[in-house]
Parts: sequence; C-alpha cells; structure tokens
Amino acid sequence: MNESKGHITLLKTGPGTSIQDLGRTGWTQFGVPLSGAMDSVSAAWVNHVLRNKPTDAVLEISQPGLKLEFSAACEIAISGAQASITINEKPIQALSQMRIVPKSILDVGVFDSGARVYIGIRHGFQTALQLGSRSFFKEITEKPALQKGDVIPYPTNLPNQASGLSNPRWDAGWYQTELLEFYPGPDYRLLSQDSRDKILQGDFRLSNSSSRMGTILMETLEDTLPELPTNPVYPGTVQLTSGGKLIVLGRDAQVTGGYPRIMFLTEFAQSVLAQKKPGQQIRFSMLSL
Amino acid sequence: MKHFVPRYIQITPTLGELSWSLEPSDELLAVQLGWMEWLRKETTGEILDLRQGFTALGIQWKTAQSQERFAGNISSISVAPSSLSKKIWEIPVCYEHEFGTDLGGVALGKRMRVNDLIDLHSEGIYRIHFFGFLPGFMYLSGLPEVLHTPRKAVPDRSVARGSVGIGGSQTGIYPMESPGGWHILGRTPVRLFESNQNPPVWASPGDQIQFIKIGTEEMKRMMENPVSPTFR
Repeated sequence: MNESKGHITLLKTGPGTSIQDLGRTGWTQFGVPLSGAMDSVSAAWVNHVLRNKPTDAVLEISQPGLKLEFSAACEIAISGAQASITINEKPIQALSQMRIVPKSILDVGVFDSGARVYIGIRHGFQTALQLGSRSFFKEITEKPALQKGDVIPYPTNLPNQASGLSNPRWDAGWYQTELLEFYPGPDYRLLSQDSRDKILQGDFRLSNSSSRMGTILMETLEDTLPELPTNPVYPGTVQLTSGGKLIVLGRDAQVTGGYPRIMFLTEFAQSVLAQKKPGQQIRFSMLSL
Repeated sequence: MKHFVPRYIQITPTLGELSWSLEPSDELLAVQLGWMEWLRKETTGEILDLRQGFTALGIQWKTAQSQERFAGNISSISVAPSSLSKKIWEIPVCYEHEFGTDLGGVALGKRMRVNDLIDLHSEGIYRIHFFGFLPGFMYLSGLPEVLHTPRKAVPDRSVARGSVGIGGSQTGIYPMESPGGWHILGRTPVRLFESNQNPPVWASPGDQIQFIKIGTEEMKRMMENPVSPTFR
C-alpha cells in the first residue's frame, strides 16, 4: 500500500468546523461524551460512496465561509447541507463524489438548506485517534475545533481507475421533514396532560442556542418538574429544564444529567434536527415499543 | 433487600434502564455495582454501552432481541450487591482565597467562619458513585448537610481546572476548565483525567475521597511537578 500522505490546509473557517467519526463508544463510564457526526446519515453517505469504512473520519462544517487547499490528488465526497461550493472557483453542480487535483482550493459559501456540510475523503482524514476516535472534543483531542492554518493529513493511495460506482448524487430531501420521531423517556409520565398535548400537537422552533452539546427550543412547557437524581442521558435525549425549556441533547452532551428526561429522539430524527437552523420549525411524533 | 429489586424500563428498542425508586445511598451503589458486574459477565458482547447514574443503570444493547430477552428474564435474575471498596484517595486541596474564590461568600451565607467551613469540607469522606458531567468528573455523596448550598443563580462562565466546589447536596472537582454553577472552595493540583491513559481516571466507583489541606507553597510545587494521588 502506498503510504504517501497529502494534507488539507484550512485557509479560512468559521466556528464549529471539526473532524468527526462514529464517536467514543465504550468510554462514557469515565464521563466521556460520545461525540461523532451530528448528522450521522450524511456522514455515513460520504463514507459509503467513497467505499470507506463506516468508522473513517469526515469533516463537519457548520458555518459558511470555509476555504481549504488540497496538497495532493484525492477523491472526496460531499453531503449534508445544500451549500454553494466551488472548487478552484468553479461551482460544483451537485453534492456528490469527485476527483481533486493537487493544489485545488475548495470554498464553502452560503447554505441554501440544511445546517451542516460533510466532506469525506478516500480512506478518511488522519488526525490522531484519542480513546478510540478521531472526533474532536475539548481536552480529549488536541483541539476542540479546527482553526485557520490547521493541517489535516490524508492518505493518497488512490485506485488508478475511477471507482466503479456510477456517480451518486446527494439528495437532501430527507431532512426537509419537520416531523421528529421520539420514544417517551422515563420521566414522560410526570408531565401533565396539557404538556403532553403540546408535545404531540404543538409546533416548536430551534432557538439560537444550538451547539454540538444541545439545542434549546424556543417554546416552553408549563411544567417545571423537580430536579431529579443525576442519571444517564444520551444524544437525542430531550430534557425539560428549569423554566419549562426543552433541550435536545447533541453528540457532545454530557453522559449524565439531573433534569427530567422526557423524550428520546430516534437517530434519524437527530440527524434531521442537526440539519435545522435556528428559527426553523419542528414537530414531534411519538413511537411506542 | 426486597426494595433493592430494580424495575427495568425499555425506552427505545435497544436502550433501557434498571431503575430504583430510592434515594442515592451506599447500599444502592453496592447493588448497582453488583448489577454492573453481573451484566458485564453474563451478557458478554451484547451490550454497547453501560452507564451509571445515582438511581439508574442505562443499558444500550447491540440488538433489540438482546433487550427483549433481558427484559423477559429480569424477574428470575438475582444479583448480590458488591462489597464497596475500602480505598480512600487523599486529594491535596489548597483552600487559600486565591483558589477558593467563593469561600467568603459561602461562609457569610452560612454565618460560619471560613476556617470552620474549610475544616468541615476537608474532614468529610466522600463516596464516588460514577463519572459524568465532564470527562473524569466524579459524582460524590457525603457532603455534610450544613454545607448543602443552592447553585449560583448565574453560572460562572469559566471555572478553572482542578477547582473544588459545592453545589446543592454535592461536592466535586472540575477536571477541566468549564462553565459551572458551583461555589468554589479550593483547588487541587492533581489531574483527574488523562486522555492518553487507559483507564483515563485513577479512581473507580465505590472508592472514597478525602481532601487534604495544603498551603500555597505546596500547591505551587505540585502544580510544577504534578503528583499522582495516593490512597490509604
């Protein structure tokens, strides 16, 4: 296997750009958050079309205004948010798989729909593995997020021939839905009938307070349940916090929490939510076992 | 011991939890640790993630079938409580005002002398229940009731690594710089989390912690030449 390495250099980036993979399963007993791509559907797609391993690391971009340079030839795939992306100032027609020549510059401009762009590369980005994962997290990886000037290595052992796959195009239709499916959490039963009705029939919107740790919704519930003993929480757990605010935990959320755990979003619903911007509307739909 | 029999709640097809309608206690912790041991031994390869809270154990199964099987059998499973560890970790803490930024405020609120507050906090022996909140953060029980203090109404934007604080009925150490709502009484030079070690923490649930008062000089020395904590 050819061991030659290329690297991307970040010439410009907004906040919230990071390397992500499937996360750190198996370390939560030490208080380590799971981490991993917020939208696992989009991240899995780029690895799939590149014929990578599901565990290969991808680039997660959550703000427009990113510019990077590839040092060597590579094959990449792009998914997630529909954004204006150019390679050497030529707009790409659709998010999909493509060959990159050395010294190419990729620009990510405005996001037309969606909130997170994923860029995968053949064989994955090669930042350091920490506790079994390359996913960035403060004090576990060298940095909590990528900054201008950072360099990320990638292997350049490409196949000689173009991959046999017909070039699949990314379809962003799946995350246009407003409906998020959930299972009731252990504390759902503590809610009043009025609050349950509101969850099942009401419209909710994402507030500006949204990060990889969690998304706070704008609408509140009347119930302010008592704080409970600290118990396990997960990405997708919806907690009812003080003042009736709902917070949907993200991939970087802490592993335990003391607020009532009223809902658990499915992994698909978490991916849909990860592609919503502040102010966008969502509704909930309850699943039963 | 009948009241220590847990309920099993299935939350999603692959996630569930063993749950006890009891207050957190050493007895319950011993029962939880017994279940953790049992699950690790008897369900090899079937569990993706096992995590502990004060009154629940969260279990993420690899398949829905595994969860179904476990839920169906639970009434026939009997698990003996673990015996809790005898280890007491001695954690050096500098309670000088330079580090214990909220000592004055807490003492005033409790009409207590600062020295008495420090003595009360450092004389206690605290039990580690589990890790959460931040990597390497220990949830501890045993804070004397007189030190129970509501959290700050407005959390501090940045609490320094190693800060030792109290909040609600708990005390704990911030393993890394973080926002936080607890009242800070001192700081330890000991590192609580090393991401390049396995395990990344030195203590285990069930162990105990005691804070040992150190002066500013000793603190500075230990900050420059980090020490590993010792136990007795």
